[in-house]
Amino acid sequence: MAIEYQKGNAFLHRLDARTKLLLFVGMTVLAIVVVDPILMGLLFAALYFLGTNSIDRKLLNSNLRILIVIFLTFSIFQIIFFTSEDSHFLFYVIPSQNWIPVTVQGLVRGLAVFFRFFSVVLAVHLMLYTTPPVDLALTITKREQRRKFDAELTATIVLGAILFVIAHLTRAEDIQVLPFNLAARTLIVLLVSLIAAYVIQRIAGRGLPPEMGMALTLGFATVGLLSKQTEIIRDAQKARGYNLTPKNPIRRLQVLAALLLPIFLATLERSQDISVAILSRGFDYNIDARTYRRQLKFQTQDYVVLVVIVLLLFGGMYLNYLQIGDPTEQFVLNLLQR
Amino acid sequence: MENDIEFQNVSFRYAGAEKDALRQIDIKIRPGEIVLVTGPAGSGKTTLCSCITGLVPHYHEGELTGQVIVRSHDTRRARIGGLASLVGMVFQDPDSQLVTSSVADEVAFGPENLGVPRPEINDRVTEALSATRLTGYDDREPHNLSGGEQQACAIAAIYAMHPEIYVMDEPLANLDPAGRLQVLQVLIDVAKQRNKTLVIVEHSLEEVLPLVDRVLVMNHGQIVRDGTVDEALAAGDIPRVFTRPAVVRLADKFGLGLKTFSAEKFYADLNDRKPMGILDLGEHPVSRRKVSSKPIIEIKDLHYSYQDRLDALKGVNLTIHEGEVVAILGRNGSGKTTLARHIIGLLQPTRGQVVVGGRDVAVTPTHELTQEIGFCFQNPNHQLVSFKVRDEMTFGLKAHNIDPSEFDQRVHRALELVDMLDVIDAEIFDLGKGQKQRLALASVLTLNPRILVIDEPTTGQDPQMTGQIFEIIKNLNDLGTTILMITHRVDYAAAYADRAVVLNRGEVSFDGPILKLITNLEVMKANALDLPDVTRLALQLRKHGVPAWTIQYEQLEQFIQSLMGEASHGD
Repeated sequence: MAIEYQKGNAFLHRLDARTKLLLFVGMTVLAIVVVDPILMGLLFAALYFLGTNSIDRKLLNSNLRILIVIFLTFSIFQIIFFTSEDSHFLFYVIPSQNWIPVTVQGLVRGLAVFFRFFSVVLAVHLMLYTTPPVDLALTITKREQRRKFDAELTATIVLGAILFVIAHLTRAEDIQVLPFNLAARTLIVLLVSLIAAYVIQRIAGRGLPPEMGMALTLGFATVGLLSKQTEIIRDAQKARGYNLTPKNPIRRLQVLAALLLPIFLATLERSQDISVAILSRGFDYNIDARTYRRQLKFQTQDYVVLVVIVLLLFGGMYLNYLQIGDPTEQFVLNLLQR
Repeated sequence: MENDIEFQNVSFRYAGAEKDALRQIDIKIRPGEIVLVTGPAGSGKTTLCSCITGLVPHYHEGELTGQVIVRSHDTRRARIGGLASLVGMVFQDPDSQLVTSSVADEVAFGPENLGVPRPEINDRVTEALSATRLTGYDDREPHNLSGGEQQACAIAAIYAMHPEIYVMDEPLANLDPAGRLQVLQVLIDVAKQRNKTLVIVEHSLEEVLPLVDRVLVMNHGQIVRDGTVDEALAAGDIPRVFTRPAVVRLADKFGLGLKTFSAEKFYADLNDRKPMGILDLGEHPVSRRKVSSKPIIEIKDLHYSYQDRLDALKGVNLTIHEGEVVAILGRNGSGKTTLARHIIGLLQPTRGQVVVGGRDVAVTPTHELTQEIGFCFQNPNHQLVSFKVRDEMTFGLKAHNIDPSEFDQRVHRALELVDMLDVIDAEIFDLGKGQKQRLALASVLTLNPRILVIDEPTTGQDPQMTGQIFEIIKNLNDLGTTILMITHRVDYAAAYADRAVVLNRGEVSFDGPILKLITNLEVMKANALDLPDVTRLALQLRKHGVPAWTIQYEQLEQFIQSLMGEASHGD
């Protein structure tokens, strides 16, 4: 089922498209940083709560339900095959042969994997459900005006600071090794962070060329149309006496093949229609000077969300840095040792 | 004065084509002129439009000779994008030219491309939506609008670009009478208010002729007539190419002014010239022939609602008898297509029952129903599933496990019925729209259906083709097929169907002999049904004894003839 934009005016709908894109990116990084199942579960619950506030719970559930099985499979793989050397052994899946050991770490991390995958997928869903595709495409498209210097400066400093902290949290030992005194070490790390931040923000700030952005926008607008087209073609074939749901699996494959040809042709035809339509409306007039009606604007709530994401990221890394990033695992191990 | 558009000895042949699409075109169109381009399908009208917008030769490749000059720009050297700032073109199928996901985005798309500053874009969007009567539609999805609204949106999208020249390729083709009126009005407003040049391609002359300054008639890629409306009408009909509206032809015949476009004016002028007597024709039968009383389709208390919309059908009761020709009429969105889809099981009733040939549709799979029912979709592209004509023709036969030894005979017979035997080995994508429509019909006929359901068989066809398709339908009925046709063409329906069913907001608002329908002005008006020209005139002449159900041109001509004759006797 295609994830289509649902109209609405809830909290998530009102967020800037860029914020939602960053929310998704942030959630993905969080899912890598956070290894504890309970913390990850809490994050997931918070995100889910945010989601059900903004879009129909039934719709969301029906889409997520399909994925439960897939992610549970991932978890089971993790539980069965995650056997690091110092893991706390529990039992064998096949005891008679001593095959496939299950460990505490395996179980806990397996559970975490479930929530980690689910959070990322949920974040994608929420982004696509609450953002008009056009806005999404615009966020990654090069805009007409050159951005102001102070905006670039702010972006560089903020990003540099984040990189600086991340460097200290994750690569503390490596930094210690540098053959300078503390002040010089810090200065070097800060300088490198700022340079990296500048490069990243220039690349991210440039965005895709407008042709690609427009292709994305038009692509998004066509997805819904194509699913309608598929329905029309299926109806046409049924009306011609074609049995679309035969019992024989080989016949089923043939039915699928017979459906693909007209859908392919319809898509081809549609793309030709679109190119004629956009050309005759001046698409190649002067693409670099193209203007945009839609304006993206950050509001307070966007800054709040961004700050929360950044804090969560730092929090997660800091816990890892203090080596208390996996309290559940520690707790269970303590229980067993007692 | 300098010309807006100038064709200097222009010929064009599409890459791979055997014949020229345009041959030695020489025309000059002045600023502010409103020009009608007409002619049969395939006569080169759309190619002519594409030359003005630069799609020929920049997008559609081929061999272009001569020069096309648009506002002193040679189109061969200009870019399509550059020309787009001067020329705005609206295409025939509104759905295919709308590319974004909201009406406001759609209208803003052109100005954005032209680099118009943001505040001005917003002004232009507001202005264009108001000019096309779409104010408040900003956030609607273009693909969920009605045909008329979509066409208005396409016009708004062009209007917002402030072009000097508007080119409209059959802007009325897919619309019901109510929508046609709206779009036509919008077009003329736009052109006249801003004093812009308008080139409009259309088949429905009776609606467009009163509004234009000049007429170009095309045939086989050439301009065969070029002149003011007066000149074009005075030069008479060209068989199979240019047929003047019925009222104009009658006006010509009886010596009235050629620019007589309305029945009212015709009657007033005729009356002025000569007082008319009264015809005495006696009683006339309202129904033309008897049909069997054996029901073949029974629809009982049928309700249907789409998930996202209100009830599409609300308690429809209908019994169709074997051998009937039933026309289903009503405005866009009145539930006609929804009703037709139930007959073949593509939709299942929310409540009520549909029985076809004794079988309940709810429990019979569609592929079994199709053994008896042929179903033609509105858009042939939605129905054709193969590359080659021959494969398309055998698709249904294979699906129904018909003995392959019968294939040849069945395919030949069906193609013969629609007069397309000559293209049996052609590729479907080389066929024109009219041919595709007839092919779709033929492919359904290979199964010898007892019932034929046709949804808008004449969308976008020229008058010759429309006549042909109705003739095919009549032939099939003579062979015993029961026909159910959805159509906007009241005139053809009146000529070919026995019975009319009018749907209004999911309910049957009229069911009876079609000749009774066209004389029931209240029902006609309430459902935005357009009276055939001839009937409109007959109604004017009612007090002189001309029957109101007159639908044939020849019939009416005779009546007027004898009216005039009697009057002269009385003198």
